[in-house]
Amino acid sequence: MLEIMAYGFMQRALLASVLIGILCSVIGVFVVLKGLSFIGAGTAHAAFAGVALAFLLGLNPMGMAVLFGLMTVWITGLLVEKGRMKLDVSIGIFYTSTMAMAILFIGFMKGYNAELYGYLFGSILSVTPSDLTVIAGLGLAVLVALFLFYKELLFIAFDQEMAEASGIPARSLFFLLISLIALTIVVSLKAVGAVLVYAMILIPAATAYQLTRSMKGMMIVSILFGVFSSVAGMFLSFIMDIPSGAAIVLLATALFFLSVLFSPKRRKPLWPVKAHKS
Amino acid sequence: MSKPIIQFSKASFGFPGRIALEEISLEIMEGEFIGIIGPNGSGKTTLLRALLGLIPPVSGQVQIFDCACEKLRCHHRARIGYLPQKDRVDPDFPVTVFEAVLMGRFSSIGLLRRPSRRDNEIARHALDEVGMADYADRSLGHLSGGQQQRIFIARALAQQPQVLLLDEPTTGVDMPTQQTILELIKKLHDTLRLTILLVTHDINMIVPFVNRLALLKTKLYAAAPPNEVLTKEILSQVYGTQIMVTEKGFVIVGDYHHA
Ligand SMILES: Nc1ncnc2c1ncn2[C@@H]1O[C@H](COP(=O)(O)OP(=O)(O)OP(=O)(O)O)[C@@H](O)[C@H]1O
Ligand SMILES: [Mg+2]
Repeated sequence: MLEIMAYGFMQRALLASVLIGILCSVIGVFVVLKGLSFIGAGTAHAAFAGVALAFLLGLNPMGMAVLFGLMTVWITGLLVEKGRMKLDVSIGIFYTSTMAMAILFIGFMKGYNAELYGYLFGSILSVTPSDLTVIAGLGLAVLVALFLFYKELLFIAFDQEMAEASGIPARSLFFLLISLIALTIVVSLKAVGAVLVYAMILIPAATAYQLTRSMKGMMIVSILFGVFSSVAGMFLSFIMDIPSGAAIVLLATALFFLSVLFSPKRRKPLWPVKAHKS
Repeated sequence: MSKPIIQFSKASFGFPGRIALEEISLEIMEGEFIGIIGPNGSGKTTLLRALLGLIPPVSGQVQIFDCACEKLRCHHRARIGYLPQKDRVDPDFPVTVFEAVLMGRFSSIGLLRRPSRRDNEIARHALDEVGMADYADRSLGHLSGGQQQRIFIARALAQQPQVLLLDEPTTGVDMPTQQTILELIKKLHDTLRLTILLVTHDINMIVPFVNRLALLKTKLYAAAPPNEVLTKEILSQVYGTQIMVTEKGFVIVGDYHHA
């Protein structure tokens, strides 16, 4: 088992899965607590549209993914702030229209582009050295920002208006948070794919939500689950020769259902309480 | 009670297509305890939110600490403790009592820095102050409504504020706990010399505690000691003619017959 680690691609895959596992599970805690889960799905597809456009015009795919991702979350953030629209409605519109754009861009291209489809479904085992540089660079930048503004981000996740009233620059921090969500998605795009990256953000945090009663505890449990499922999923994918994104997400999903079963929050009394007859 | 700490000068506040507060003029002195009363939708919550700078005036001015509220900088806001009119916390939300109270320190700690040992002490002391020290590690969502209310008062105290804005702190709380919360607020007022604005629907309950009552219904109808405000003439302008005041200054609704 250990000898496979001698391969360069395995070392890169391991590093990428640890980094992405940490990143997605940390950002996921804020996403789940603040009820921003829809934003992940919408932004992933917008970022993919950016990648498709980059391939069409011969631009840098990561750069365009960042641009499209950030534009989506900022426009959504502004719409929500103006109170003109509910978050799920505006994201739903972006979600479908950016996907339509991606399909349009792909339609303009001649022939089948395997590399482009790699961004849709992801493959952690084929992360190149230059991919890894982007993942590590952007990923560490996001983690540092999360670390620096950790307490404020938790406060706005708990109660944004209260945070603002007590003198926290809550508005700017909200935009920082959604920007970090967009960057996390872009960082994970190549390895996990636009279709599944959303699950990587949501599932470990949702699992931790079931099991903990403090914010600190939720953060720790989420990271443990996130790193475990992405590393274990990566090895499963190699050993069983199955797509890595699917292996990681299905493993995480299995853990989630186990956590629902064992959640102290969901536990029902063993004996149903007798209902009053009226 | 020396100089005004809060000053409304013909200030009006509104939302698109609706005026919520009209030409309010009111001075509040340092160390005063003001009860704010008025029917639903009369603009009580709006008044508190305006003081926090969350709603800019459409006309006129409002100042706190000699600073226009809508321009309040973060370090000013940190000196105002606020208890919002609130529903209960989602019981599943993973936050402990102590974590929630410590959040009151965050604006004073400032960006990029971690809570120090002293911040932890201040938060513990605030919990102690509201009599909830034993609950520090409990899940906030699992406490009762009245207990959560006390935790949020502790969070406001952890800010070490000069001004305390309390929006219906006793609503949805049983009567003994209402009394306990009001006595706690009174104690804070006396010992810490806080300026307090307290919104409530329970006029009779707060009369013994406040220096003045402010009567709102979009306009400010009165801002004076309770015995001057609690007359049938003044109250009926706001609550309608069904309102009665007994000889002992007790406000009731409907017919009142001498026993
Ligand atoms: N976010 C908002 N958007 C639009 N109108 C609002 C908003 N908040 C309050 N209002 C309006 O402003 C007026 C005053 O509301 P406010 O919440 O200040 O009343 P209140 O005195 O606190 O009432 P209650 O006793 O029910 O808490 C109401 O007419 C209300 O409909
Ligand atoms: Mg109100």
